[in-house]
Amino acid sequence: MFDGMSDAELEQMYQEVILEASKSPHGKEKFSADITTAAAESDESSAGATTTLSANHEYCVSAQSHQFNPTCGDEVTVRVELSDGSNGEPVRIEKLIWDGQGCSISQASLSIMYDLVHGKTLEEAMELSRTFKQLMESRGHGLDDEQAEELLDDAIVFQGVSKYPMRIKCALLGWEGLKDSAALALTQVGK
Amino acid sequence: MTGMVDIEKIRAEFPILDQEIHGYPLAYLDSGATAQKPQTVIDAESQFYSTINAGVHRGAHELAALSTEAYEQGRYSVAQLVGAHYGDGDDEIVVTGGATAGLNMLANAFDHASFDGIEPFALHRGDEVVVSRAEHHSVLLSFQELCRRTGAVLKALDLDDQGRIISDKAYLESVITHRTKIVAFTHVSNVTGAITNVPAIVTRAREVGAVVVLDACQSVPHLAVNFHDLDVDFAVFSAHKMYGPTGVGFMYGKRDMLEKLPPMNFGGSMVELAWMDKPAQYMAPPAKFEAGTQPVAQVVAAGVAAQWMMNIGLDNIEAHEQILVPELLKLADIEHVKILGPLSSQDRIGTVAFEIDDVHPHDVGQFIDSRGIAIRVGHHCAQPVHRHFGYYASNRVSLGIYNTSEEIQRLCSAVADVYGFFHR
Repeated sequence: MFDGMSDAELEQMYQEVILEASKSPHGKEKFSADITTAAAESDESSAGATTTLSANHEYCVSAQSHQFNPTCGDEVTVRVELSDGSNGEPVRIEKLIWDGQGCSISQASLSIMYDLVHGKTLEEAMELSRTFKQLMESRGHGLDDEQAEELLDDAIVFQGVSKYPMRIKCALLGWEGLKDSAALALTQVGK
Repeated sequence: MTGMVDIEKIRAEFPILDQEIHGYPLAYLDSGATAQKPQTVIDAESQFYSTINAGVHRGAHELAALSTEAYEQGRYSVAQLVGAHYGDGDDEIVVTGGATAGLNMLANAFDHASFDGIEPFALHRGDEVVVSRAEHHSVLLSFQELCRRTGAVLKALDLDDQGRIISDKAYLESVITHRTKIVAFTHVSNVTGAITNVPAIVTRAREVGAVVVLDACQSVPHLAVNFHDLDVDFAVFSAHKMYGPTGVGFMYGKRDMLEKLPPMNFGGSMVELAWMDKPAQYMAPPAKFEAGTQPVAQVVAAGVAAQWMMNIGLDNIEAHEQILVPELLKLADIEHVKILGPLSSQDRIGTVAFEIDDVHPHDVGQFIDSRGIAIRVGHHCAQPVHRHFGYYASNRVSLGIYNTSEEIQRLCSAVADVYGFFHR
């Protein structure tokens, strides 16, 4: 009866790629506490804490970052392992895993971010992060830059989400975790 | 027409309802967050500013007198709505900046009382304050902080599997003990919609001499509430959830309690005599608690909202909602939908939180909104009650006097489409 614009817009926002990625996300592993359990209430270290970890491999530094959106409960812990650049090579993301829960936008964005940056140099990853942020700030208009859009690959599907100011944070949550954990890991280089 | 009142006539009083959202007529099902305002309330605020705006309880000019009268009329109507005393030095309604401000005022007053050793409020190390797991953060955090500062212990009344505060005698006796000095709890949960068994808790609190604080935010807009009958010592509620303006709320206190309670905000209009070298002499309640310029236009409009509710009739408001509640509870019959809260209409209001399997509330809200229906998603400022059910967030529908069966049918059909959309 009311077949307005909204249904088409909704489908543009929740594209197949997003629903698919949110259902079987890449890079997601269980290693963090769950904020929905009563047990978490007495465990102060479980929520909101940013922990620095020791590296698992030689010549690597690693760290993790917990990101949280209190309005809806999207939360993620991103753990990154970087090569420390001691061999003269550029710093590279050797390992990336994440754990968390949230809406399909946040979960899909994390999965697609994992596919994009895993194994890339940190510089390439940060460039992608900046480009993705620009896309999310485009209010649905996209980047007007074919090369940049190509670089974003699957992440371009979030263009529809950028129309909804309340949801932009959902899409950016994982990328914030990546930036934060990488910055933390870098502080250990040379230590 | 539903029940005793003409809902179409009432709807026509709310200009905001007459609009389309995403091509659909707006169905506003988020009155638990804030209720919409009838034209008469909107006009009251603007009329006040256009005609009699002036400082209250000060100055001798004509406008100051008229504005004081309008302000006190607002207090009177609100007092009438909740069965509180008014006038003749017997006032029991204090103006606050909202329900959250009221709860913080109370907790801070108890803190001051603890410092000065004023009974029956003073808390000492080892004393206990009891809340429930169903509390809004404004109750939980205010009293958690109070305990942290005074060394008192915070205890919680637990919930049953439908989210009701457990209130059988033996359980209450085990939690509310001779160490308990304050019991603070919600009249109606803003998540589950469950109405608390207030008499049982008050009876137990009286046995141990504890002070009772009631969060009445979600009850006053929906039920005929009489604080004398409930026999609580203090209660708070906000105007904006009862069809009134934002920025103002009220604290009810039994007269003798208000007289004993020390002030917690200091400044103009609350002091009789002030000196440089000795403590001030404060005014009698309610002025003692109303330091500084109050939200006068909002108090006036809140009084109009209270009067508007009484004109419809609290029983009629309750009856209309009771017709809609069973329709709303049919949400539970939809595949993949689970209600967090009582599944029967008994002792609950038309506030219903629900989960949809494998669809995050944020996504549910987006889908429902695309059909022109406004519901709330998130934790509704009550995280512990969500954890009780094993969730962080939920979808919440909350009714107002203007909602119709047709809107609930639209909601149910939208909810029925959610799972399929996200699993297509």
